[in-house]
Amino acid sequence: MQTGRNSKKGNDHAVSEMIGFVIIFGIIIAGIGLVTLYGYPMLLQQQSSSNEQIMEKNMIVLQNDLKSLAYKTVPYSETSLNVGGGALTVYNTTYDTADSSKFLIFGENGNPLTCSIKNNNGNCAISSAPLTFYPGDLRYDSTSAQTGLSLENGAVVKRMLAENGSAMLAQPRWFYDGPTNTAVIYLIGFNTTTDIMAQTGVGTVKMDLGLTNYTSYNTAGDTIHIEYTPNINADYSTAWDNYFTGTLGMSPDGEGGYYFVQMPSTLIIYTYEVEIESV
Amino acid sequence: MAGLNDDAQWIVMMGFVISFSFFFLAMILNQSTVVGQTTAESVLDFPKNDIRDVRSVIINSSEIGDPDYVHNDIVNISLFRKNAVVNYSCNPTGCTKPYTISIHYNNGVTAYNETYTSP
Repeated sequence: MQTGRNSKKGNDHAVSEMIGFVIIFGIIIAGIGLVTLYGYPMLLQQQSSSNEQIMEKNMIVLQNDLKSLAYKTVPYSETSLNVGGGALTVYNTTYDTADSSKFLIFGENGNPLTCSIKNNNGNCAISSAPLTFYPGDLRYDSTSAQTGLSLENGAVVKRMLAENGSAMLAQPRWFYDGPTNTAVIYLIGFNTTTDIMAQTGVGTVKMDLGLTNYTSYNTAGDTIHIEYTPNINADYSTAWDNYFTGTLGMSPDGEGGYYFVQMPSTLIIYTYEVEIESV
Repeated sequence: MAGLNDDAQWIVMMGFVISFSFFFLAMILNQSTVVGQTTAESVLDFPKNDIRDVRSVIINSSEIGDPDYVHNDIVNISLFRKNAVVNYSCNPTGCTKPYTISIHYNNGVTAYNETYTSP
């Protein structure tokens, strides 16, 4: 072809190369433009979602530590973790109790002589004066993404920041034992030297086992209710409600709480205080 | 173009193939969520020794007729130290030979039931 052209004009050797260059250069510029427009934001989003995934994993690791402390009476545990794209904060059991999440446990029998469950003051635990437990939580709030995570009362729970809804990623070990008709409830709270501790970046979460307590209640003939009241800043009520109805097979009592349909004759409540030395 | 030697275009193509495969590998790697609970931990969670211990204590206790205070101690210590609901009873009437013991153990993750027959 070139030889044919040569014979007519003689000095357009590089035309097809020039057109090729223009096409290739155009493709490159368009590629760069596309990457800047779509690729880079996608990359940032990937980064924040991977931060979140890493944090989910970290929370499950911390829950395993908590399991070791509570169920296996290991005295001390230490985990190094990297908190990216947000902050990890510990709220202790006594921090802002008016607004923080709590678990209410109560029976229906209010007779001081025969009632089964006693509240914190030693009186009968009924719906107007329940046994109240403030777990506190170890909370991760992501700055870029739309979700928050918490380690609350032995469970890893996740919520959406902008809308309602939450899910339980790892469950606590509450259970109902059929043959002995026994319900077992674990209440795990955090204690800290200051009300709040927070960290970002690499840090070490040091936990040790504080006070532990276990009480066995004879609840024959009584109905046991459990109610979860969410923190106003971190609402995990959907997750806990699903756990009560799904895993424990409880039924809603119509007033925000749930009761054991099996009517357990024994209720065992374990209470653990876990001291968080540092995050 | 006729004068150009394009024998080495496969090198450019290989470059494309490799870079695309890197891209997809990175995507797959990103999808794999690393979980915190490992198999080893699940194995450690299995309360084999707890079950063996409580079983041997129950059988020993039944040899001496399973007095109430021993029975209660076994149940309470299992609850307090091992976080496990344990219940057992000698059948048909107390621990007088020949008897069977139905043993029940549950710690919320692992449940164990056994019917032991006295020699």
